[in-house]
Amino acid sequence: MNGPQQLALPLASRVALLAEPSTSTTESQAVPEAVMQAAFAAMARGETHYTDRPGILPLRKLAVDWLGKHYGLELSADEVTITCGATEARFVSLKQLVGPGKRVFAFSGSSEHIQPAATLLGQTLTHEIDDPSTIGVVYLNSTDDPERIQQVLNQVESSECWIIWDTSVGEPTGMHPVHHPYLNDRVISIGSFSNVLPGWRVGWIAGSKAANKLRAYKQSMTICSTSISQWAALGLAES
Amino acid sequence: MSLTNPNIPEDVRAVAANGTQLRYKLMELTAQYPDAIALGRGDPDLATPPHIIQATESAIRQQRTGLAPVAGLPELRQAVAQKLRSDNGLPADTENVIITTGGQEALFLIMQVLLDPGDEVLVPDPRYTSYDEAIDSAGGKIVLVPTDHADAFNLRPEAVEAAITPRTKAILLITPSNPTSGIVTEERLREIAAIAVRHNLVVISDEIYEKFVYSPWKHFSIGSLPNMAERTITLNGFSKSYAMTGFRVGYVSAPRNFIEAMAKVKAVTTGPAATISQWAAHAAVTGPQDAIADFHRIYSERRQLMMDGLHKMHLDFSEPRGAFFLWTNSSPTGIHATELSYLLLKEGRVLIFPGTGFGENWGGYLRISILQSTDLLQEALTRMEPIIARYRATA
Repeated sequence: MNGPQQLALPLASRVALLAEPSTSTTESQAVPEAVMQAAFAAMARGETHYTDRPGILPLRKLAVDWLGKHYGLELSADEVTITCGATEARFVSLKQLVGPGKRVFAFSGSSEHIQPAATLLGQTLTHEIDDPSTIGVVYLNSTDDPERIQQVLNQVESSECWIIWDTSVGEPTGMHPVHHPYLNDRVISIGSFSNVLPGWRVGWIAGSKAANKLRAYKQSMTICSTSISQWAALGLAES
Repeated sequence: MSLTNPNIPEDVRAVAANGTQLRYKLMELTAQYPDAIALGRGDPDLATPPHIIQATESAIRQQRTGLAPVAGLPELRQAVAQKLRSDNGLPADTENVIITTGGQEALFLIMQVLLDPGDEVLVPDPRYTSYDEAIDSAGGKIVLVPTDHADAFNLRPEAVEAAITPRTKAILLITPSNPTSGIVTEERLREIAAIAVRHNLVVISDEIYEKFVYSPWKHFSIGSLPNMAERTITLNGFSKSYAMTGFRVGYVSAPRNFIEAMAKVKAVTTGPAATISQWAAHAAVTGPQDAIADFHRIYSERRQLMMDGLHKMHLDFSEPRGAFFLWTNSSPTGIHATELSYLLLKEGRVLIFPGTGFGENWGGYLRISILQSTDLLQEALTRMEPIIARYRATA
C-alpha cells in the first residue's frame, strides 16, 4: 500500500453523521430484449454524448403517460426531469424544497428512504405533525396507509409545505396527493426504472411549479443522466 | 461594459448574472434555429471510439448490468489507479479512487466532503461556474484569484498567496483551463504546492482536459510532487478524453479516508455510476489509446483554423495551450459579451458563450469552442466576420 491514507486536513463535519454505505450489490438481472436493442440502437446512432439537461423528451413523455395512466395526472414533459435513479430524485427534492428551519415528515415505515439524505442535509425528520407550519416537506409513498395519508394531507392543507409522492417503492394504487384540492400545485412525484434496470441509474422527478428549480439543481450535481440508460429505459416500455 | 440592448429577450436578461443558467438559456435558444452552428458546450462532436461501444454492448449482452458498488467497479478503480500511477505519477491504489457520475458529480462530492460552512476555496477567475454551485451547496465560500490575458491566464502563485485567509481550506486548480485553455505550468505548480504546504491547505486539481495539451506545453499533476499526496484531491474523467460525455463517468483520486467519505455521500445523493458506463470506461482506460492521439491531431488542426480566422477578424485571444476553447477578447466590438453572443446567435446562427458564462467580470470576452468539423468551423467564421466587423465599426 503506497497510496495516501489520511487527508492532511479534517473532513467536513457532516460526513461523520453518515452511516457506512451498503456493500451490497445487485446480481445482474435478465435484460429484456427490447431494452438491449434500444441501448444498441442508441449507441449506433451516436447517442453517447450529453443529453438535454431535462433528459430525453420521449422518456419524459413516458413518465407523463405513466402518471396519467396510473394516477390520472395531467402533466407536460416540461415538468419532468430525468435523474440518476430515485436516490438523486429524493436528494434533489429534499435539498430544494425544505426551507430553513423546517422539518420533514415521513411515516416511520417509509422514512428509511429519505433518512440518510435528510441527515446529510442537516434536516430533522419527524413522524408526527404537531404544528403544520413547521413542516417543509411531507414525504409519502404508495406503501403508506391510505387513511393515514389522507389524515396527514388534511393536516397540512393550509400550510406552505411541499408533498413528495414517491412511486419508486411500491405498486401504484391510484391514490395521489395531487388530487387533494388544496395541495395540487405543491406536489411532486418521483419514480424510477430501478426495479427492472437497477444498475442503469434512471429515475425521474415530475410536476409542480418547482420543476425548473429541481432541474437546475440536478444539473449542478450530475449535468444529465447516462444517455444510453435513458434510451434503454425507453425500450422498457416496448418490452 | 454593461448589458444595454433592449432587444435582448427578458428570459436571457433574467439569467445574465448566473453563468451556468446563462449558458443553458443560450443552448435552449439555439435549439430554435436548426441551421445554427454550436460552438458553445464542451461536448466533443467526435464519435466515441468503437472498442468502447463494443465493450458496452458486451457488458449488456452478458448481463453485467446489476447495481455496482457505490465507489465503483473494483476492476475500474484498479485500472484508474494504474493509469494515475503511470500517466500522472500519483501514488494511487485502488482504495484511493472513487468512480463518479461524471466530473460534475466529482466536484459536488468533493465539496460536500471537504467543506464546512464558511470554509473558503480559492478559484482562478474566469472559471467554470459549476464550481460556484458546488462550493455554495456545501456552505463554502468561493474566493476568486485573478488571472490575466498578458500571462496567458496562467495562475500566479503570489496572487494565490495574497488571497489566503484564516478560513481558506483549499486551492482549486484547473489545468488545462475551462474557459481560457491556459495551463498552469509546472514551475508555477511547484510554487503553489509550496504555498499549500506552508499554509496547510488542500489542493483540488481538476485535470479533465489533461489529454489535450498542445506542443510545446506539457501537462503536469501537482499531486505527484513530494508532500502533496496527502493534501491533493485529483479530479478527472472519461468524457472529454474519449468523447463519451453521455456515459457520465468521472473519478477522483485522494487519500483513502477522503474516498471512503465520498462513498458515504455518494450513496445518499446519487448512488453508484451506471454499471454499463463503468464497463465502457474500463475499456477506455485499459484499451488502445490511439483514439486520443487522433483526437489530439484533429483538435490541433481546428485550433489552428480558428486562430487564423480570429486573426483575420483582428480579434485578440489568449494562446490556447490546452483544451478546446479560444478565450477571445471581444471588447473591440464595443458591446457586452452577453449581448454579442445573443446577436451572433440571432443574426449569424452561431452559438458562442459569452465570457459572463464564466464569471461576472468577463463581459469583454467570448469562449469559442472548436468542437465542430473544420467545414462548420469555417462556416461559423464566415458568419461571424460581418457581424464582428459591423459592431467594431460603430464602437
